Amino acid sequence: MIFSSELIKGTLKTIVLKLLADNSKMYGYEITQRVKELTSERIQLTEGALYPTLHAMEDEGLVTTEIEYIGKRVRKYYKLSTTGKARSKERISEFADFVETMKLLLDIQPKTA
Amino acid sequence: MYCITDEQIEYILSDIRRNGVDTEDLQLNLLDHICCIMEQELKENDDFERFYHATVKRFYRHDLREIEDETINLLTFKNFYAMKKVLIATGACSVFAFIAGSAFKFMYWPGASMLLTLGIGSFSLLFLPLLVILKTREARAASDKFVVATASVVGAVFSIAILFIVQHWPGANVLLMSAIGLAAFVLLPAYFFTGIRRPEARLNTILVSIILVGIIGLQFTMVRLAPRSSGSQRQIKMDNYVQAESSLRQLQSLSPASEDAAAINTLCDQVKSLVLNQAIGQPAIPANYENTQLILNENALGREFAGNGVGVHLLATLRDAFSKYTAAGGNAALQQMISRSILRTEPSEAAKLYSNLSLLQSITQLQTQLAIGENTKAMAAK
Repeated sequence: MIFSSELIKGTLKTIVLKLLADNSKMYGYEITQRVKELTSERIQLTEGALYPTLHAMEDEGLVTTEIEYIGKRVRKYYKLSTTGKARSKERISEFADFVETMKLLLDIQPKTA
Repeated sequence: MYCITDEQIEYILSDIRRNGVDTEDLQLNLLDHICCIMEQELKENDDFERFYHATVKRFYRHDLREIEDETINLLTFKNFYAMKKVLIATGACSVFAFIAGSAFKFMYWPGASMLLTLGIGSFSLLFLPLLVILKTREARAASDKFVVATASVVGAVFSIAILFIVQHWPGANVLLMSAIGLAAFVLLPAYFFTGIRRPEARLNTILVSIILVGIIGLQFTMVRLAPRSSGSQRQIKMDNYVQAESSLRQLQSLSPASEDAAAINTLCDQVKSLVLNQAIGQPAIPANYENTQLILNENALGREFAGNGVGVHLLATLRDAFSKYTAAGGNAALQQMISRSILRTEPSEAAKLYSNLSLLQSITQLQTQLAIGENTKAMAAK
């Protein structure tokens, strides 16, 4: 099952923050591929959502960028800034709380093995 | 792995640009992304162009520009919620300033004008512009955005025009005419033709348009088409007062006044100095006032003439002095003059009836009549 884009929309920033926290620097395509790989293709980030978010994060000062020239094209690497690192922790723990709360709210029983 | 040629890179980049992605950063990001996908997924014998178009289609719902729009949206409106809060705060501020200012004005308390100016200022220069920014974002069609924007401009210009009118600042009439013209010839047609095309909004559009025409018509009724040059009117009023004052001085110099009359004159001069000090910042109008561009604005009396102020006390003392004087002397003309002057009102109520200029004139008239009486007495004594 592939998760709906509605569900992903609210967590996209958290996902990107987490990936950048675990990997020193990444570029856009790499991020989409890594997410696909880690979730066994159940979460597929769309380019239309990822790039606007990356630009907004750069504007907010959460990430810094590095340019690498590959022949005629340019690759832009994203790295977490100090604020980005702090924000990544905040967002992840916030999301963990959110999941707990949703479990209660939606009355989801933990799966028994 | 497929190897992308420089020509193909050019082809992709120009296609991205052609499809409305203008931000260079975003162009480069998308180019690299597409190249990565192609390098991974394209086979040696596949058709490059067909594969490219199939790939890029995955990026959007309707067209590639969406990505650019979404980026701009995120960058511009990252403070959307903060802006909404500021909008409500400035709105609340204006409403508070308007209500408090109106109450102060009604009660003749000081600070009314400042509060109302603040209200108009924050309403027209903060609240309305913020409202446009937020509302145009919500409006879908360009015509709706245009209507919202012009409505706000009309509102802002109109309220600033009102501020100019009450403050007697130059250009008020031009501002008011601009607001009315904009409302009648831009806002109204734009609103009407946007709304009338939507069946569900037709009735409301017609009704609101009629109300708009009514408001514009009423406003236009109030506009003076031939602008009175208020500057020269003020000059004339000031000249009249200065002339009356100079005649008075000549009359007074004809014969020495009695002790009681001299006391009354001193009181009168104190009241006038008080008013002039507030109006022009000096106790008397200087002789060369035409050359110094000094203008005496006709305004409400200051706080000295409210409640327990100095002016109220002076007027009360003056009234007593006059009644003592007339009781002793019995001057019918002076009696009548008093009954038509500022002294007929309660001193604390004077500010509700008299402006600064009319108070000055009233006192000078009284003094003139007093001087005439004194001179008649002196002539009779001779």
